[in-house]
Amino acid sequence: MKRLAAAWRRLDARVTAAHAKVADQARAVEKRVPKSEQFKGGAHGERVTARVGSLLGIAFLICFVTGLLSHLIQHPPEWFFWPSRPVWLYRVTQGAHVLSGIAAIPLLLAKLWSVYPKLFERPLVRSVPHAVERLSILVLSGAAFFELSLGLLNVAQNYPWNFYFPQVHYAVAWAAIGSILVHVAVKLPVLRRALTRERAPVQQPGPGLSRRGFLATTGLAAGVAVLATAGATVPALRNVSGLSWRSDKGTQKLPVNRTAVAAQVTRVAQDPGWRLSVVTPAGTRQFTLAELRALPQTTVDLPIACVEGWSQMATWRGISFPDLLRASGSSPGVDVRVSSLEKTGLYGVSVLPGEHTADPLTLLALELNGEVLNLDHGYPCRVIAPSRPGVLQTKWVARLEAL
Amino acid sequence: MKTARILLALPGLAALAYGIVLFLDYAAPAWPDSVTTLVWIGGGPIVNDAVFAPLAGVVGLLLTRVLPRPWRAPVQIGAVLTAVLGFLAFPLLWRAYGVPPKPGLHDGNTWLGLLVTLAAVWSAVLVASVVRIVRVRHRAARKIRSRARS
Repeated sequence: MKRLAAAWRRLDARVTAAHAKVADQARAVEKRVPKSEQFKGGAHGERVTARVGSLLGIAFLICFVTGLLSHLIQHPPEWFFWPSRPVWLYRVTQGAHVLSGIAAIPLLLAKLWSVYPKLFERPLVRSVPHAVERLSILVLSGAAFFELSLGLLNVAQNYPWNFYFPQVHYAVAWAAIGSILVHVAVKLPVLRRALTRERAPVQQPGPGLSRRGFLATTGLAAGVAVLATAGATVPALRNVSGLSWRSDKGTQKLPVNRTAVAAQVTRVAQDPGWRLSVVTPAGTRQFTLAELRALPQTTVDLPIACVEGWSQMATWRGISFPDLLRASGSSPGVDVRVSSLEKTGLYGVSVLPGEHTADPLTLLALELNGEVLNLDHGYPCRVIAPSRPGVLQTKWVARLEAL
Repeated sequence: MKTARILLALPGLAALAYGIVLFLDYAAPAWPDSVTTLVWIGGGPIVNDAVFAPLAGVVGLLLTRVLPRPWRAPVQIGAVLTAVLGFLAFPLLWRAYGVPPKPGLHDGNTWLGLLVTLAAVWSAVLVASVVRIVRVRHRAARKIRSRARS
């Protein structure tokens, strides 16, 4: 019994000593961790946070709206309508999507640096609402980082993850824009105070960047980021943007996102027995390539605009959809399902809405930039429609069905 | 103000909830493979707060301590731009998980593009610093001259 009591006392002493040691260490660490008031740079403070935050909010809003549009065009619900004119509309919305995302990268980093001292505020949690707010900001910044890094990796077609990019990017986009709106609602009084206060308090000129200097640097960084990449879609910047993910080495002066080899169509696409089947309520008509060439040909200038933000104007020649539908016993304005020779992958089938099949600029193209379509660009024939994502401009067409 | 806050918060909460539902639509059937997705989402703020932000702070502080005044702001801005350009170039240069280049896509010379862009940035830094030095000297010279006259 005595031995047991002595053992208990020893254990107790040991635990107490260990406890004291841990507490000492914690105090020592706490002493070394910076205090929020030690951050004296011009970057910190609500005036900077509000300004950078507003720009970041606008960038995310552009990303969200344009991304949602692109999603709706690819998965159109009943009520959705997307016009075929102006022909550059999708090129602009998707270019804006990617470029505002690029601009948001330095803006997000600047915004988080501006509020970095808050990370060291003590106590860590003051109240339940404060805890909820801190947690919601973790969700917000997690979703924001996720969307921007995913998007950046996707335009580079670099996939260090195991999920399907569009699905997860789309889901987290809703969470991101939702938590941004909640965050703005929570911070609205601060935002108003910081943006409308007439004169700023006199700032001691520190050794680093001033408040204005930090804001200017942030703006400059966003501008340089856009300039360095925008050549992917803005022709005037093609030779300026060193970090564009497209080059000018595309076949027939146009980048190729899916090659014939990758789509496993090299043999079937070159088969002399190839026929285009056009299925309409009047029956099925088959066209040989020679018969297609004998139909009235239309030449149009249309851009290819990829979901990944690059775009390129090109001259196409082929049969306009209204002509083709009339020649097959149907009429312009019906929805048409387009099936490719490509049997692998997700983009072998697309549906052209009536809006586009009625537009004489929508072609079943046989030629590109004055030459017969290259195999990689969809030989023997492909769809090219105004203001549609590149993934829906189906190549190696085998069958059209009026719906 | 109160109405505005409610008008922002309500659709915000709805969008957030919809996003979570969509995410669960993906994550629940894919469990436990989708754990890595959660790591990706949580990883951004943690890596930023624990690595990038302190690093940026320390580098910024060092630059202000080490550099003479006219060089400070231009070099700091140059450093920021270098970091941002580095981030943008990273997925184009590190291609362990990238798809093979295709005609016209990812077949450009990104290293060259990055180096040329950085050369432009640092040339601008150099020019800005030299202009600032010349301006400071001018001002000092004028002060001395006016003092000599009086």
